[in-house]
Amino acid sequence: MHRFNLCCPPLMRTLSIAALASTLAGSAPGAAAEDKPKSSPTPAAKAAASRDWWSLKPLVKPGVPQIGNPIDAFIRARLAEKQLQPAPEAEPRVLIRRLYFDLIGLPPKPEEVAEFERTCSIGNRQSATSNLVDKLLASPHYGERWARHWLDVVHYGDTHGYDKDKPRPNAWPYRDYVIRAFNEDRPYARFIQEQVAGDVLFPSTRDGIEALGFIAAGPWDFIGHAEVPETKIDGKIARHLDRDDMVANTLQTFNSLTVGCAQCHDHKFDPIPQRDYYRLHAVFAALDRADKKYFADAKLTARFAELEHRQRTLTTQRTALENQPKLAAGKELETLDQQIEAASKAKGGLRPEYGYHSAISPTQDAAKWVQVDLGRSVAIDRVVLRPCYDDFNKIGAGFGFPVRFKVEASEDAQFKSGVVAIADKTSADFANPGITPQTFKSTGATARFLRVTATKLAPRQNDYILALAEVQVFDSTGNNVALKAGVTALDSIEAAPRWRKANLTDDIAPAADNSGALADLRAKREALLAKFTDDKARAQLAALAQDMEQVAAELKQFPKPDVVYAGTVHYGGGAFSGTGPAGGKPRVIKVLHRGDVKQPKDEVIPGAPGYLAGLPGEFTLPVEHAEGERRAALARWLSSADNSLTWRSIVNRVWQYHFGRGLVETPNDFGRMGALPTHPELLDWLAVEFRDSGGSLKKLHKLIVMSATYRQSSSVQRAAASDSTNTLLWRQNRRKLDAEAVRDATLFVAGKLDPKLGGPAFQDFIVEKPEHSPHYQYHLHDPEDPRSHRRSVYRFLVRSQTQPFMTTLDCADPSMLVGKRNESVSALQALTLLNNGLMVTMSKHFAAKLDAAGGNLGDKVDRAFREALARGPSLEERQSLTAYAQQHGLANTCRVLFNLNEFAFVD
Amino acid sequence: MKPASPARSRREFAAQLAGGFGSVALASLLPESARAATAPAGTPPLPHHQPRAKQVIQLFMLGGASQCDTFDYKPALQQRGGEKVNFTVTGGTQASAGPLLKSPWTWQQHGQCGRWVTNALPQLATCVDDMAFLMAMNAPTSEHSAGQTMQTSGFVVPGFPTVGAWVSYALGRLTDNLPVFVALPDPVGLPWTGKAAWTNGFLPAVHQGTMLNPAAENPVPDLFAPKNLGLATAGSEHDGLALLAKLNRARLQPGDSRLEARIASYELAARMQLAVPEVLDLQGETAATKALYGFGDAKTEPLGRNCLIARRLVERGVRFVQLWCGSGLAGASGNWDNHGDITPGSDFERMCVRSDKPIAGLLKDLKARGLLDETVVLWTTEFGRTPYSQGSKGRDHNGNTFVSWMAGGGIKGGTTYGESDEFSFKAARNTTMCYDQHATLMHLLGYDHEQLFFRHNGADRRLTDVHGSVIWDLLA
Repeated sequence: MHRFNLCCPPLMRTLSIAALASTLAGSAPGAAAEDKPKSSPTPAAKAAASRDWWSLKPLVKPGVPQIGNPIDAFIRARLAEKQLQPAPEAEPRVLIRRLYFDLIGLPPKPEEVAEFERTCSIGNRQSATSNLVDKLLASPHYGERWARHWLDVVHYGDTHGYDKDKPRPNAWPYRDYVIRAFNEDRPYARFIQEQVAGDVLFPSTRDGIEALGFIAAGPWDFIGHAEVPETKIDGKIARHLDRDDMVANTLQTFNSLTVGCAQCHDHKFDPIPQRDYYRLHAVFAALDRADKKYFADAKLTARFAELEHRQRTLTTQRTALENQPKLAAGKELETLDQQIEAASKAKGGLRPEYGYHSAISPTQDAAKWVQVDLGRSVAIDRVVLRPCYDDFNKIGAGFGFPVRFKVEASEDAQFKSGVVAIADKTSADFANPGITPQTFKSTGATARFLRVTATKLAPRQNDYILALAEVQVFDSTGNNVALKAGVTALDSIEAAPRWRKANLTDDIAPAADNSGALADLRAKREALLAKFTDDKARAQLAALAQDMEQVAAELKQFPKPDVVYAGTVHYGGGAFSGTGPAGGKPRVIKVLHRGDVKQPKDEVIPGAPGYLAGLPGEFTLPVEHAEGERRAALARWLSSADNSLTWRSIVNRVWQYHFGRGLVETPNDFGRMGALPTHPELLDWLAVEFRDSGGSLKKLHKLIVMSATYRQSSSVQRAAASDSTNTLLWRQNRRKLDAEAVRDATLFVAGKLDPKLGGPAFQDFIVEKPEHSPHYQYHLHDPEDPRSHRRSVYRFLVRSQTQPFMTTLDCADPSMLVGKRNESVSALQALTLLNNGLMVTMSKHFAAKLDAAGGNLGDKVDRAFREALARGPSLEERQSLTAYAQQHGLANTCRVLFNLNEFAFVD
Repeated sequence: MKPASPARSRREFAAQLAGGFGSVALASLLPESARAATAPAGTPPLPHHQPRAKQVIQLFMLGGASQCDTFDYKPALQQRGGEKVNFTVTGGTQASAGPLLKSPWTWQQHGQCGRWVTNALPQLATCVDDMAFLMAMNAPTSEHSAGQTMQTSGFVVPGFPTVGAWVSYALGRLTDNLPVFVALPDPVGLPWTGKAAWTNGFLPAVHQGTMLNPAAENPVPDLFAPKNLGLATAGSEHDGLALLAKLNRARLQPGDSRLEARIASYELAARMQLAVPEVLDLQGETAATKALYGFGDAKTEPLGRNCLIARRLVERGVRFVQLWCGSGLAGASGNWDNHGDITPGSDFERMCVRSDKPIAGLLKDLKARGLLDETVVLWTTEFGRTPYSQGSKGRDHNGNTFVSWMAGGGIKGGTTYGESDEFSFKAARNTTMCYDQHATLMHLLGYDHEQLFFRHNGADRRLTDVHGSVIWDLLA
């Protein structure tokens, strides 16, 4: 029995993560008594879940109430109804600061403020504003500002999340794609299509690949995928939850509906039957989140993919051929394999210090070396290589022992001169010795350095390594002179205590008890297989080997591919194999009774939801279709002119970031649990206008920010009693700057902001223990590090341990779909803005910048004020700040400015 | 029980709670979503009924404290040690069950209630008449971080608000001078999920737990400007705050309480700068009090210090203290994850000694000061351990059954609820999960857990998801 209820509580719930996860580890709670429904859907609720709902109705462009900017016409019509007067236009200096922060997320420089004020005073305010808006929309910083909003919505992050929370080093190309798309004013329909099915709809484009980072933007359960195969219940749960995130992200982002509610039963409030939810799963059923390789040149991408595909096919053929004798050998082989496994497991007092382990190589023929420094020249009698033992990938004894290698000695640490060979096993494969020590007699070598070079690495798991437990070098008296000797290597994974260079000479190696027997068994196995391999198969294998060599040779010619972490057909091995090895066919998706992977019901075909009367969700796909056709169909459905939700959703989001509140206050929920639009006609007018004029976000911005409604003052003498919360927009809302804007403005004003665009994320933390569960230590980061002085959109976003400074300032949590950020005021916020190392450091830089510009203290205070607040100080402000600066220094004065209300808000 | 309808605004409620200057600050420091009249986000209701307690101390034994060697006495296990029983292994790290491992500790009944406790916890054994035991707790996982997240937030996946954040959201602050929700990690290191262990999840950031690190230059992050930057002096800070207030005040705008709230937030910050060092300054505590918590003994003092600080925090109005015993990030020996050995001389014993006197001292001290009447103390761990052995002397993870206890305001001391099977392998009768414990806790604080929501992305989220029942048997 599982203890999750048949139905939602009186109100709804979305994910049934808890329900699903309660099956984790299989420990079944035995609380049958509590397993009772709390409520069942009332007839009223059922009836309510129909398509008769504002957001689902087709878009019809409403008539505009009067001439002028249509936005103002709609807004003023409502104000007139309530007998409210719009506020006057904001002063130029207020307006320019508002436009700067809104459009590019940075403050204007004092010169820019002065120039705008001057232009407004002498000429046409309208055209001055229009020119300013055009300039800002053309700035590359516009894309940075608005991409950040988008990344909130799609829950982009640079780590996987969950408890291991490993870094995702190739996520950033998607972030850069979003910035680029905004800067290039990508038509919104295409923006949607690229992110859902760019590889299919825009093949051979860089954007078409990088945009797929959208599908992979959310968290990924490393343990549930990499350590548990999808044949197991926990593996099924992990993959189900993974797709659920893709589905929720897609529908919530583009259609502002919470489809996740239909995971366990038909949605109780919105017309989303359970079947529709699982049809969406089927759309993404072939995908996983993984690194995807590509080139800027689309032709290269295509050829590379072809070659990689060829390589995989050949490998499959080889495996099949190799398996034939295995089948033929039958019982005899099975017995041998069992004996080998038993012998491999006899590990004889394995210690945690396994040995030395090279970095992992994707190819087997990469040369790797490790060497010991004997400290002085020694007459070497013999060298003993002690193999490792590691259960990883069930390898066991002989883990990482090179297939081909040589042992050399030299007086030269670089091994460039005077190299004496002690053993050369590079011309033929060396049978894996298990854990039996391998002894190589020296013929009179005298040297200080001893090097083992692998020329053909040991297979690990679709990749290759060199590992050794111990290198022993004996002199003629039988002393191991390599004991505790210094070790250097081409590379090493250094994952203490298990793997590190020092382990190579620590006198710890698996005891060589029954390894001789193991080697015998392996030899027997080889002989047995040879017996069952006929000449034809041998010839085929040889031909295959030749083909593979050719493919490998051509692949070698390629430059290093670019990589983006994206939703993709994954070709993996082990537990995380993906659908690639089986041809990229989508997984079969069935409706899960109560969202329980152990209770699969009817199979579903891919489809979009059926909640729009004018836009059916059925895809007309041929029976044999490629995986991508499903996503392409969904992308077309989402970007259809008839998808009323899509167009309402996006104009509402843009409106929200310009006014602090959307026309629909719940940007991620246009369903019955969401808010109603305050201005339904305006919303629809904007949606149609935006859709029909090419889906240009820049035009939409301009339309909005040029309206008198947007340009109103936010300061009023008296709040309107009938609308104290300003729902009807009789003034502009004063808006609190978000965490990124505070940080970026601080760096900018201090003269330290590095305006570099794009590229890998900067890290404002130090990583400890990266090899296992990385710890992200923010307090160890030096705020003076110039690499971290970039715009916040380029910050490396850790999901498990969010950046404390940013989090305190209500930054979006990258684990969640954030349509609208919380906005809070707290003592901790005050403390962080006063005392955080970054703020204090930037105060000092700000002061240094002012000092460099010269003038007396009063002038500096004046300038500081203008830089930080886009206005000159009043006489009193100037006097008190100057007095404070005299007593406590200019840097502390800058700290005060950074903490003013005026700095933290946009009027 | 019928919940009262939230007739008054939360703001009025908060103002009424605190009074004076605090009320203005309190009201204005509420999250924006709670203030906007049209806010669709869940606004916490007033208490649904008369609360029995107003503060909480959650003690978390990290690693999975063995119920078999502390509180869950099983004669069958003691008699049949060494015997092989056919258990179906459902979690943990080993594939098959070892033989039964009888507890190497001595069982004895204690108190008027006659509760069985081993001699591993001699001090806590003297408090059993104040404690109510959940003897058949069940966890849906036997994995550390999932188990920890489950017990702190009610979900095995990360990202959900922790109990402390929910309590902060529902009840708000009692004091202006200290954070509402304070986390005291074990001085040895952080829990499995690091600082996410006191996350506010999707609740506004004000409900995030504030980590208190008594030994650090900045016991609360950013409490003072970094000394090495050489900018801040007592004068610069004092005059700076005064100047800031003056400049801000001169430009207040009618109809925007956030501007006032921000002014107030700096006043609160200044108070916190005084209050935090004061709460950490133990000079005023008597030798007798310190001895009660195990000061003067290196084995007990580290946790004893945190327990004493917890009492001082509660005394000064902190709503929720989360106190950790054990670290997930300090290696295997720094917590209750005793796979290898639970016998005398083991890490298990060290963890018992580390926590026994300090926690018993905390209970006794709270009681002596009359604070226990309105403070709920909650002792929990991510899961239990197996009655069968791992290796020869250790025990593996076991989510099937474990023990947790509660004490303090509204709790009937000396009671038990639930029972595990004959070996303490599985919960057998009156099984409870963290949902029930959280429901009970919220009940004691005056809230119906089914009526406390926060709207997040279209769903009204609850601390207890769709689960949980108040455990009435434990209530006084």
